[in-house]
Amino acid sequence: MKESRMIQASILLFWTAFWGLSVVDKVVPDVHFLWVGKDFFALFVKFFGSLGLKDPLFATAALAGVSALEALNFSLYAAACVNFLRKDDVLMEKWLFRGLFASMSLFALFSIGDQVFGDRFQLLEHGLFWFVLLATWLICKYGISGEEQAKPASPIQKTGGFKVVMILGALGTVAASTSIWQFSHATFADVEAPVEGAEVADGVFKFDFPFLADKRVWEATVADFRATHPGLVINYIYTGPSELNSKKKTHLLLYIFTEPI
Amino acid sequence: MRKTDFLNASTAHLIRFGILIYWSIFWLFNVVDKVIGGAHFLWVGRDRFAQFQKYFASAGLEAPIIADASLVVAAALEVFAFLFFAGALAHFWRKNAGVARSWMAIGTGLTLLTFTIFSIGDHIFGDRFELLEHTLFWFSSIGSWVVFVHLERQGEDRITSIPRHQMVRTGLVSIGIAVATTVSIFQYNTDFFYRRTAALSAERVDADLYKVTFPFLGGSTVFEETLVKFLEEHPTKTVDHIYTVPKPLRLKKADALIFYIATKEKP
Repeated sequence: MKESRMIQASILLFWTAFWGLSVVDKVVPDVHFLWVGKDFFALFVKFFGSLGLKDPLFATAALAGVSALEALNFSLYAAACVNFLRKDDVLMEKWLFRGLFASMSLFALFSIGDQVFGDRFQLLEHGLFWFVLLATWLICKYGISGEEQAKPASPIQKTGGFKVVMILGALGTVAASTSIWQFSHATFADVEAPVEGAEVADGVFKFDFPFLADKRVWEATVADFRATHPGLVINYIYTGPSELNSKKKTHLLLYIFTEPI
Repeated sequence: MRKTDFLNASTAHLIRFGILIYWSIFWLFNVVDKVIGGAHFLWVGRDRFAQFQKYFASAGLEAPIIADASLVVAAALEVFAFLFFAGALAHFWRKNAGVARSWMAIGTGLTLLTFTIFSIGDHIFGDRFELLEHTLFWFSSIGSWVVFVHLERQGEDRITSIPRHQMVRTGLVSIGIAVATTVSIFQYNTDFFYRRTAALSAERVDADLYKVTFPFLGGSTVFEETLVKFLEEHPTKTVDHIYTVPKPLRLKKADALIFYIATKEKP
């Protein structure tokens, strides 16, 4: 595959998947088997509620409007993909431009909403997506065309080191896979095993939760603590705020305050 | 004719070299992170198994083999991306610019494919922050590819030499600032590192209510030492509950963690 065609294929694949899955996220609300997604309805209801528009009709209508625009975006990229597969570069570029322009318009609309609703983080997020779209168009229009490499004397498979890289890649993949497998085997028990506590002050026990832990571990930990300390009653459970964690190394700190029965 | 040694290299040549170095190191350390797994002495990294396991469990796939298989696919893409960028770097160093470009094209293709797959996962698992992160990396990969191929034509723009007196002045100013900051940092370390572990005093603010203000260096050790000290200083009291002041109630950036200890008399 020519370099420019590979980059075009990557761009089309990325943005088609992006908008296709955004539409699916609207069609499949809530959490289901094989789909988690984001609850945009709740987000919109809260946004409009903060404006004083508590009737869910506003959020529903706004979300339906956004979904329609996202579906339009997806269709434009899909049309560009079809023309890419047909090797009709002129039509592909026309559809891609329409897709990118529609996407930029949608992110501009989102950014207006972010300003109105005062969500500065989402404003940054949407601003960055908007810029990536703009830059993607510039790359498509001026970056790829005319920069094709002169046909190399020999295919890459015959360049120096190619076979070595294939062998090293296979060995590296096996090494990484073995390590992943071993780590998974060694730590998977953390999914439900109770955490062992350490008494850090008189009647105060500290629990350092692993990254794999979830609510089941919390429940198992409390049950195990009660079973192993029958002479103590739990007064209070304190969740250590993130400031108490060593950066990145600790998932969650929990303190149980007790007193003798 | 382009030179590989830095003193005679063009600015374009150095930037292209920097792009290959960046992506080689980027993927090398991602592979190392997969191979090491977990936090160790001198390596924290990220527990990708826990992250993937939680993602798939949230979608109803709790068997660890799913997370393992996904991580293996990701690791394979990363290993080959690293090797192709490293190969491109080696060919570039040997002045095989055309071959280096072909190798980088494969590395870039693998990078784009990896981030596209990750972005699809972010949609499915509803992680919008990671979606933004992966989109930015995806774009950085395309952007660096475009810069790399465009700079191929810019070989004649050699680094111009800087007048000696400007070099000397800049060097002296840099050394002066470096010395001042180094002294300040070491002084701060000498004066205040005890805050990393030392127990804090609780200030009584109301009947049975005490306030503890953390320094920025404080962590779990300070919290625990503070509790020990508090219980020793107030032997007749027991902790009823602890209230952590939420971030919106703290002064922007000036306040670290603040918590209140609510107590009651021991029975």
